[in-house]
Amino acid sequence: MRRVVQSSLLRVLVRRLLAAIPVMWGVTFLTFLVMNLVPGNVARSLLGATATPAQVNAYEAQLGLNHPFFTLYGNWLGNILQGNFGNSYTSHAPVTSTIGAQLPVSFELIAYAFIISLVVAVPVALLAARRPNGIVDRVSMMFSMAGVSIANYVLAVILVWVFADVVSAFPAIGFVSIGTNLGENLRSLTLPAVAVAIPLAGFYTRLLRADLLEQMQREDYVVTARAKGIGPWRVILRHALRNSVFGLITVIALNFGTLLGAAVIIEQIFSLPGLGNGLIQAIGNHDTPVIEATVLIFALMTVAGNLLADILYAVLDPRIRYGSAAE
Amino acid sequence: MAAQPSSGGVAGAIALPLSEQSVAPGGRLRRTLKISIPAGMLLVIFFLCFLGPYIFAVPAPTYTNILDANEGLFSAHHLLGTDQVGYDILSRIFYGGRASLEVALAVNGIGMVVGGLFGMLAGYIGGLRDAVMMRLIDVLIAFPGIVLAIAIAERLGPSEFHVILALTVFSVPAFARLSRAATLRVREETFIVAARLSGTRRHRVLLRHILPNILPQLITFNLLGMGIVVVLEGALSFLNLGIPSPQPSWGNMIANGQTVLTAEPRLVIVPSIALFVTVLSLNLLGDGLREHWSSR
Amino acid sequence: MSGESAAPAAARRAAAAPGAASATELLAVENLRVDFHSGGRHVRAVDGLNYAVRRGQTVAMIGESGCGKTVSSRALMGLLPRTARVTGSIRFEGRELVGLAEKRLRAFRGAEISMVFQDPTRSLNPTMRVGDQIVEAVRAHSQIPRASARQRALDLMRLVRLPAAAERFEQYPHQLSGGMRQRVMIAIAISGEPKLLIADEATTALDVTTQAQIMELLKDLQRRLGMTLIMISHDLGLAATFADEVLVMYAGRAVERAPTRKLFEQVRMPYTKALIDSIPRLDDPPHMELNVVPGQAPNLAALPPGCPFAPRCPRASEECREREPPFSEQEPDHAWACWHPYGPKDDLR
Repeated sequence: MRRVVQSSLLRVLVRRLLAAIPVMWGVTFLTFLVMNLVPGNVARSLLGATATPAQVNAYEAQLGLNHPFFTLYGNWLGNILQGNFGNSYTSHAPVTSTIGAQLPVSFELIAYAFIISLVVAVPVALLAARRPNGIVDRVSMMFSMAGVSIANYVLAVILVWVFADVVSAFPAIGFVSIGTNLGENLRSLTLPAVAVAIPLAGFYTRLLRADLLEQMQREDYVVTARAKGIGPWRVILRHALRNSVFGLITVIALNFGTLLGAAVIIEQIFSLPGLGNGLIQAIGNHDTPVIEATVLIFALMTVAGNLLADILYAVLDPRIRYGSAAE
Repeated sequence: MAAQPSSGGVAGAIALPLSEQSVAPGGRLRRTLKISIPAGMLLVIFFLCFLGPYIFAVPAPTYTNILDANEGLFSAHHLLGTDQVGYDILSRIFYGGRASLEVALAVNGIGMVVGGLFGMLAGYIGGLRDAVMMRLIDVLIAFPGIVLAIAIAERLGPSEFHVILALTVFSVPAFARLSRAATLRVREETFIVAARLSGTRRHRVLLRHILPNILPQLITFNLLGMGIVVVLEGALSFLNLGIPSPQPSWGNMIANGQTVLTAEPRLVIVPSIALFVTVLSLNLLGDGLREHWSSR
Repeated sequence: MSGESAAPAAARRAAAAPGAASATELLAVENLRVDFHSGGRHVRAVDGLNYAVRRGQTVAMIGESGCGKTVSSRALMGLLPRTARVTGSIRFEGRELVGLAEKRLRAFRGAEISMVFQDPTRSLNPTMRVGDQIVEAVRAHSQIPRASARQRALDLMRLVRLPAAAERFEQYPHQLSGGMRQRVMIAIAISGEPKLLIADEATTALDVTTQAQIMELLKDLQRRLGMTLIMISHDLGLAATFADEVLVMYAGRAVERAPTRKLFEQVRMPYTKALIDSIPRLDDPPHMELNVVPGQAPNLAALPPGCPFAPRCPRASEECREREPPFSEQEPDHAWACWHPYGPKDDLR
């Protein structure tokens, strides 16, 4: 029996991993393609508008860019596979070290925002689904609609205005690293995390509420549970929510990219030294190696996030974990 | 959703009361209001953005007179005041909204046609070709929301047309996935199987039988998607990668206002409200239509 | 768990209940109506249903899907969706259930009235171990410790003759066969020693052999636990084998009620006759066409005036299309609703 369990779970995992490989390759190709959309653009933008074609050509040769597209791509991919993302055009430091320093900041922001959004969304959705069209439901649906309709950068700017300018409860800028002081670190990340989390929380709340209602109203096992005479909270928590979790995981996975994308602009607004802020600066400097690496890392993180959700799904769902009928 | 066959026959009678417990028991009036109110709001927004400048006789959005700078709300010649360099806010709201809506319409129009057809075809033919087509879409979807758009916009340089191109990369795969999933659902329905078996040509089955069934979903998604595009366009413009200054966009107006936030919060709040109300209307209409179509 | 221990307890409770109509009557349904309102539509799924069930009896409710048998039985347990409005009277041991607050109603569910549903695949939670689902039912009405609840769940699993109970306890529903799942459902249903068990098409989704086993199990448990059984089915043949009394429903109404033997000996209502005629018989010549009730099932949202069966009835007259026949006991123990019932002279088949 145990062996059956492991092999069927393992099969799912292997299949998902194999499916992710061509996607990851595609991601590297598309990243490189986009960065080379306009030939000669890199050198021209670095040299400025006054550069002559001859100067551009010379500079291209100096950067090693005067080769056919596929040669360049092959070299770039080969280097990446060896962990070499090249050096920044501006700081001349290895891109990996820059990104290595930025990654934990972004990661912390995203995790913080994600936790806030779930901590808000799950209880609110449960309360709303407990009495559909009740007062709690209507109010929470109104707020969550407002939440999904507000752009995170608008929210960020307004949060800064209210909490940093007007009441100065939180710092608008000035990131404190987690190693320095955990309390201050969280304080400096709270406003940005809230700005990322609110639209997300609205989205999760609406989805989870709809899914819970679907379970409560259409699924026979909920009727069975009610027929046992157990209380309504027990029905919703042990039966409806347990099954709604799967829908939520899928949605979180599909939406993971949006969460990462939100971090980009929010980091810029709050001057957090993360990947997103680094990307915006690199774009200002036309620093191609940094842009390429950052875009690629964002995409790989999305793929990894989706993969993680798939694995979580497989581990949590007994129908996948224990294969199908034992007969 | 709308693709479901009418549950006729014997089971229909009881399946109706037992399973059809509409989430909102409100009557027909409530459902109508849920569509007509946001639709009305959107009509007003479109009207103001495209015709407002001619009705309210505002100065051109890029006309500036430094003597008029920093006028407050409801000042004599500027209903919503002016910014630090003397641009008329109301005019910029109109023209900025026009740019946002143009971008949203174009991005989702292209997304719906290209992505919709792509997904429909993939879902309909199935098999290996479908798998390959969907891996392609997976690659595009792997790029988080705005990141690829930022990179593309940076390479192409800021302009409204480039914003449209950059964001299309985002809308096409989203529509493709949706229309493929919807196609898979209707593909096996009796009337479509019948059409296939009776030797109807593929493009005819796709366009005459499948398309009308998945169209409501695509349209709902289009409205919800327009909200997303309006927000993303704002984000690109906010980062100076979208509508190039001094052309107005709600995004670059917010970015500009942010620099004088403490002194003049109005410069952020006015475009923020415009953006919020527009996205809210789109979301409400999308939601209302979805409810309407799923309860039909 | 045995009949000996359950019976005195039941008797005590019955004696204590105020206004118990009679010592033998367990359930009395009077003028039961269930209306559904949703988005401007209105459907009356049950319209003026009357019946009574005596202790220990097995009553079969028979009818096509949509005739109101499932809705009326769910009304007994207060398990209808929020869009339903229930009026009339349901008295269980003399206690009125209609209009009872959800909280009070909960005390009845599982402990006094239980239900087994049609599709055991859908009616068990796919993400919970089978054993935990039974334990949950055990603990719903008795505050016993986890360990004893587990022991009791295992006992219940043996009682419903689930093979290898200890091993099954740890499994998930999808790992069991349909018949085993239905046994789990039954274990859940009887865990609170209910007085009334409603089997709602409990064997419809199963194959013929399993069907017979499950019915035998239900009858056996009924004897051992002293339960009253309402079996809901579209299959009059099943009722003929297992029920003491049959109640035939059509378009949300009762149209004929009689002890099983009497019903088959002297059917009155043409709809019941059509149902009886549609039962395949062993002495039918091979390959003959099966009889089915002719015509379309009634549309509850737009019923014609008069008798709802009139459009499909071979004996319908002008009167039938104008006035609805009352449902009343027109012979001892035999009630029907028809202006032109079959008489003793009418030959059956």
